[in-house]
Amino acid sequence: MSKFFDLNVHAYPETEVPAEELLRAAKRYGYTGIAITNHDDTEGSELKSNFCFSGIEIRANSVENLKRRIKLYHGKVAVLAVHGGNDKINRAALEDHRVDVLAHPSGEKRGGALNHVLAKLAAKNGVAIEFNLNAIINSRKGERARVLLKMRSHLKLVRKYKAPMILTSNACSIYDLRAPREMIALASLFGMEREEATSALSDFPQGILEKRWKKENDVVVLKNVNLESPRKSV
Amino acid sequence: MCKIQNRFLFSIFYFAVLIPPSLRDRRRYLVFEWISERVIDKWTLLSEIRDSIFSLYGDVGASESKIRLIEYANAEDTDGGMGILRCAHDKVEEVRAALACIHSANEARLSIRVIGISGTIKGATRLLR
Repeated sequence: MSKFFDLNVHAYPETEVPAEELLRAAKRYGYTGIAITNHDDTEGSELKSNFCFSGIEIRANSVENLKRRIKLYHGKVAVLAVHGGNDKINRAALEDHRVDVLAHPSGEKRGGALNHVLAKLAAKNGVAIEFNLNAIINSRKGERARVLLKMRSHLKLVRKYKAPMILTSNACSIYDLRAPREMIALASLFGMEREEATSALSDFPQGILEKRWKKENDVVVLKNVNLESPRKSV
Repeated sequence: MCKIQNRFLFSIFYFAVLIPPSLRDRRRYLVFEWISERVIDKWTLLSEIRDSIFSLYGDVGASESKIRLIEYANAEDTDGGMGILRCAHDKVEEVRAALACIHSANEARLSIRVIGISGTIKGATRLLR
């Protein structure tokens, strides 16, 4: 049985739900680990658990700002995500090999888009493209059709250039979390095969935590990240 | 006397309607559980499931999935519960996706998860316990 990870979950300082409650729910749903990636403009509190990885989602309004913050957090967290949505921010994030995940490249609902150049960059720099399933769950009708259309086109590019991809819930409460099998069923709505979806939930997140797609001298390897007993670093 | 006769008539009617086993629909019984902010009654839950399937697959898809709520059991201690949903045997993944798309009912947040799938009600009830 695969180990499942959800690498984009928002907890207490940013949202109302305490991290412990999210951990309990995720464990019950069959996840091996989750990464709490609060936005960096809300200060986080420390949580000691061997189930949870530290993470940060950088929400920057300009490219310079983004670069400065990436430099600040690089090597200190297990998952360094960038809040995508803006075309310039997307490009800057995918060009930077220190970034692990580009979260929702088409915005939380819709916005910017990927193209062949960006997908190629993602594969080269080992930046995972995130598919935010929360956008499918929380939208209806025309809005959802547009979200699914965007995801379909992103999936096509990601397949072509073999960039890493992950499925995340982007959960802000325990009611936003979905079990791995449900996530796979949701991913099939935009044409993702079952095997692909399974690896996007287990194999790729594991690779991100191990920094599998990074060149060795580029990466400050976190000593505390061990997949058998993950522990919060910093 | 009348009552017995009625029951007799009913049983004749019942067997007349039953179609032969080879022509019966193949079904799957999904055992699901939900967690919610408030208690959600049976009709709200069912209409929410139906809405989700209609909005995701349209009228044609909904008719093909042949859903029906078989059992509904509220949990005693929490605002959640478990239930059994019947659907066509080849539409399990579609129904699962539709269940996962439900995010609220009566403005209370809600999340549904499929625990197990069975081919018979008996097997599904065993999973429910």
